[in-house]
Amino acid sequence: MEINGDFKFKLLNVISWILFIGLAIETGGYFTNALVTLFFNSEWASHFWGNLDLSGLYTFDLGLFICFITILILISLCKTIMFYHIISIFHKKKFDLENPFNETIKIYLFNFAYIVLEIGLFTYAGKVFAKWLMDQGIKLPPLENLNFDGSDVWIFMGITLLLFAKIFKKGVELQNENDFTV
Amino acid sequence: MAIIVNLDVMMAKRKITLNELSEKVGLTLANLSILKTGKAKAIRFSTLDSICKALDCQPADLLEHVK
Repeated sequence: MEINGDFKFKLLNVISWILFIGLAIETGGYFTNALVTLFFNSEWASHFWGNLDLSGLYTFDLGLFICFITILILISLCKTIMFYHIISIFHKKKFDLENPFNETIKIYLFNFAYIVLEIGLFTYAGKVFAKWLMDQGIKLPPLENLNFDGSDVWIFMGITLLLFAKIFKKGVELQNENDFTV
Repeated sequence: MAIIVNLDVMMAKRKITLNELSEKVGLTLANLSILKTGKAKAIRFSTLDSICKALDCQPADLLEHVK
């Protein structure tokens, strides 16, 4: 099968949809699990979404437990929003390669860069928080299972995307100027 | 912007329509409309030259600076 531009975009669209649905389920899972643990059955803390055992933290301090699951939910939510942006750009058909420098793509790039940066910052905060909790003697699952690893990569990617967005913004300005030169 | 394009004034003085000017100058109606409505961000010397020739005027008759 010949791989042309359309096929690549369709493939990327399908992959984005799969990842978006997966992340949306994960976010919903964390949220539901947190609600059930806090309001109905505290034993669910030991069987948290993704086989996480947070019972040690729950028994140590409820406030810290809420902070911890809030960070978990925020990271997952940001990742879901990131893939929502990717899907929306495919479905709105704004990705016009004939005239790529337009306002919609500029706004999309900035939003994308900020979300990636937010994921990086939340991941870093989560990592620092988890390490601090471990230092207090609380038993927590490994950082890899908590999605707290790779904060430096997210931040690096966010800053790079922000730079690209700034360059793209200049491109949009030049395109507008060119369009309105008679 | 501080630069005003007085194309419509000159067109009225010469009693010429946008369609006629478009044919004489060789610019599209869309581009002339951009110029006439003041949306243009820049104007090429070649465009200015052809408009001045068509309207028999000076660049200063078309462009005005206001403070």
